[in-house]
Amino acid sequence: MDQTFSGEHLFAGHAGQFFVVLSFGTALLAAISYYFSTIKDTADGSWLRIARIATWLNTVSVIGIGASLFYIIYNHLFEYHYAWAHSSRALPVYYIVSCFWEGQEGSFWLWTFWQAVLANILVWKAKTWESPVMTIVMVSQAMLASMLLGVEIFGERIGSSPFILLRDAVNLKEMAPVLFADPANYANYLTYIQDGNGLNPLLQNYWMVIHPPTLFLGFASMIVPFAYAIAGLWQRRFSEWVKPVFPWALFACMILGTGIIMGSFWAYEALNFGGFWAWDPVENASIIPWITLIAAMHVMLAYKNSGHSYFTATFLVLISFVLVLYASFLTRSGILGETSVHAFTDLGMFWHLVIDIVLFGLLAIYFLVSRWKQLPITRKDEETYSREFWLFIGSLVLVVACLQVIGTTSLPVVNAMFGTKFTIKEPIETYNKWQTNFATVIAILSGLSQFLKYKNSDPGKFYKKLGITAAISAVLTVGAMLLTGVYSNPMLAILSFAAFFTIAANGDILLGAIRGKWKLAGSSVAHIGFGLILVGALVAAYKNKVISINNSGAGIPVKDFEKTNKSGENIMLYKDEPVQMDKYTVTYVSDTTDYPNTFYKVNYKVFDKDGKIEEEFNLYPNAQQNEKMGLISSPDTKHYLTHDIYTHATAAPQIADHQEHEGHTESEEYQEPLTFEVNVGDTVRYKGGFIVVVSVNKNATIKDIPLEANDIAVGMNLEVHAGEKIYPAEPLYLLKGGNQPMDFGRRVDDAGLMVRFTKINPDKNNLELLVYQKKVQERKWIVMKAIVFPYINLFWGGTIIMVAGFLLSILRRNKELKRN
Amino acid sequence: MKKTSIIGLIIIAISIGVIISIYADTSTYGNFSEAQEKQSELVVVSHLNKRKKFTYDPHKDANYFAFYAIDNKGKECQVIFNGTKPQDFEKSEQLVITGKMSGENFYASRILMKCPSKYNKDQVEIKANGSSAVKSGI
Repeated sequence: MDQTFSGEHLFAGHAGQFFVVLSFGTALLAAISYYFSTIKDTADGSWLRIARIATWLNTVSVIGIGASLFYIIYNHLFEYHYAWAHSSRALPVYYIVSCFWEGQEGSFWLWTFWQAVLANILVWKAKTWESPVMTIVMVSQAMLASMLLGVEIFGERIGSSPFILLRDAVNLKEMAPVLFADPANYANYLTYIQDGNGLNPLLQNYWMVIHPPTLFLGFASMIVPFAYAIAGLWQRRFSEWVKPVFPWALFACMILGTGIIMGSFWAYEALNFGGFWAWDPVENASIIPWITLIAAMHVMLAYKNSGHSYFTATFLVLISFVLVLYASFLTRSGILGETSVHAFTDLGMFWHLVIDIVLFGLLAIYFLVSRWKQLPITRKDEETYSREFWLFIGSLVLVVACLQVIGTTSLPVVNAMFGTKFTIKEPIETYNKWQTNFATVIAILSGLSQFLKYKNSDPGKFYKKLGITAAISAVLTVGAMLLTGVYSNPMLAILSFAAFFTIAANGDILLGAIRGKWKLAGSSVAHIGFGLILVGALVAAYKNKVISINNSGAGIPVKDFEKTNKSGENIMLYKDEPVQMDKYTVTYVSDTTDYPNTFYKVNYKVFDKDGKIEEEFNLYPNAQQNEKMGLISSPDTKHYLTHDIYTHATAAPQIADHQEHEGHTESEEYQEPLTFEVNVGDTVRYKGGFIVVVSVNKNATIKDIPLEANDIAVGMNLEVHAGEKIYPAEPLYLLKGGNQPMDFGRRVDDAGLMVRFTKINPDKNNLELLVYQKKVQERKWIVMKAIVFPYINLFWGGTIIMVAGFLLSILRRNKELKRN
Repeated sequence: MKKTSIIGLIIIAISIGVIISIYADTSTYGNFSEAQEKQSELVVVSHLNKRKKFTYDPHKDANYFAFYAIDNKGKECQVIFNGTKPQDFEKSEQLVITGKMSGENFYASRILMKCPSKYNKDQVEIKANGSSAVKSGI
């Protein structure tokens, strides 16, 4: 007999699952119809009509999936595994959006959603390219939809659906064997599941709301250049596809670049990575296709203007999308396991993701090989003094730079394939060492080729401009090195020279652009941005300085680390005790808890030599006391134009949550009591003051308890002297019925005391007084780390300028398209 | 021969060089016994011994964190890390530690934790509406 369950809302899930299957079916139908529309030129355009209707239905079903999922999460329907795993009731509405893409299924949805949007734009704009290009786009759309299917075929589950029920995903009976052994309880299982797992607190940040959509729009838009390249080969419109693809490629680079930068800024501002780029495999995976597409655009430009480098351009466009799929494989298959801190875990889609890469890889290889002989490859040699030649060289250098990143990031893949155990000991240093060399060459080339014309240029003019620019950059480099103090390493000096060279050379072009050749502004602005990024990254990466060096023990490094001579980078701050850190006097002033966040107010002061305050600011690093994850801290940063001061609490005492358990017993709150035998007029001392026994009140009354004839109630009138203040108190002693002793203690909270009158000793002729002192609160403390990042604004400024450059270029290329 | 072909060959040569040096730069994952033998820097895949207490007393030293880890061969070793206790350390399932053996202790310069259980392990928290049901059930 089938078990029935009460309280479930199955309609939303059924609707969602229906849309998932529909989106797969329509994508497949659209791909097939577009295919026939491409190869069979039917006069009535019936295939095209079917394809467009299928595309439109696909868009509707993708939106349907999103709406159903949103409904489920928004209404806290925890009978669905996705809602249970990624949301909770306490979550504010704006983070519900983030829950959406915290899981793999949601991020696949985001991707398929953007791809549907792009598909609609292509249907509208692509004209003669529509059928072949959309064939490829809809194949990709079908592949993405298949990732969400979650349907079993021949015993294999295909994809992972966000609409799987909790009771299907998890064996609830195992979780609570006794409770759910009772079928009545099991049928009502939902009443026992009151809250979801919640959103990872690290992701409860507004960056999580905007970073993933931007990144996935970037990934999704990479399909368009790929589809155009395939369509060009397929339809033998070999050189035609390059022009319409240009704005698309620029768009993909701009959006993906923006997404990556957002991630980097998020890591710097809100996570405690202590930097803006960590060469984590997940970061690398997203930047590799970005770089190859940048390289592709440069050779496409060379091809458009000179007819050279056709194969390189096509190949790079194709490989960029395959690398997007590879990135998706790396982050989603669980293969990164030991090397990444933030990859997803395996959802059982390892081979599905592999098939995705292989499918598109084979598609690219097939068309390249089958059209090889017809490709417009020039047999002519390029001139040395021509721009196309150096664009080509520059792109190759970018590719080799990528190769180093891919090679190193793929070590876990190599290990999985060959059973090896390769690893890198110091990944960041290794990447930096390699990439500074590549970056130097690329920066020089992106300056140099600005002085060259397509086809051929006058060497004399070229050398003259080169000489002037090199001289200017040399001056700038020396100036910058003196200013920032980066002169220890010759390689860094050369890199900063290269960066200034590209800034100067492109600055020259930009000046020309302002004087009228505005067309050229886009690329020069983007290159200036790139140069600034290099300078900023270089200075911030090599000159960032941990100032929270622990030298309380007179500069002695941490015990047992004497050999490595690495002193501790974390410093202990007790509340209200100033600590000298570099030029700053740092004090932990106070904290405010807004459960679950605690903000520590840390005051920074700089004194001049007369002891006057020269500079003062407060930072509020925050630590979240999370039930599931322990202490989670977020940094706070003071931004200046020339430097940032980054502060982050690396350890803090766990704050007991008073709301959670009530009824503290008195023994928990107070220390062991002091026992005194006293008489009227006596004075007893306690830590923090003294108590005077003023009088004894033999006619004491007890509130709410009427006294009976035999009851004896005695009060002891006390004066508690705590500091300058005096507090009266009257603890009571009661002999109920003349023989049952009881007492009523009195709290003197302001003095942190409780007093009890517990006994009358007729034989000794005195009274017993118990004094309880509150437990001394542990001195408040935090351990923190502070880093100064000099000139980091060059880096962020550079990223913004680069994105602006992309935007200008898109506008220009779009105009060119319209003119034709 | 075309100039681009020559450059192509040079680039291929450089690429091969890059790839070879990537693998020359690598080391392999090891274990504590190997670290003991080699006395050089090594990357060890291990997991935290949750039964033993770890030491982190910021009042004494904010940069001294010691714990016991067990490598894949089952050997246990005390690991000393120059820093604070990483967040959520108690819940880690795997620790990839880079460092050197000195005496009986392993001195770590880098710790990479893996805690997939954080959000993905399906440990359903079952709470009852009426508290009596809990007592009778779980």
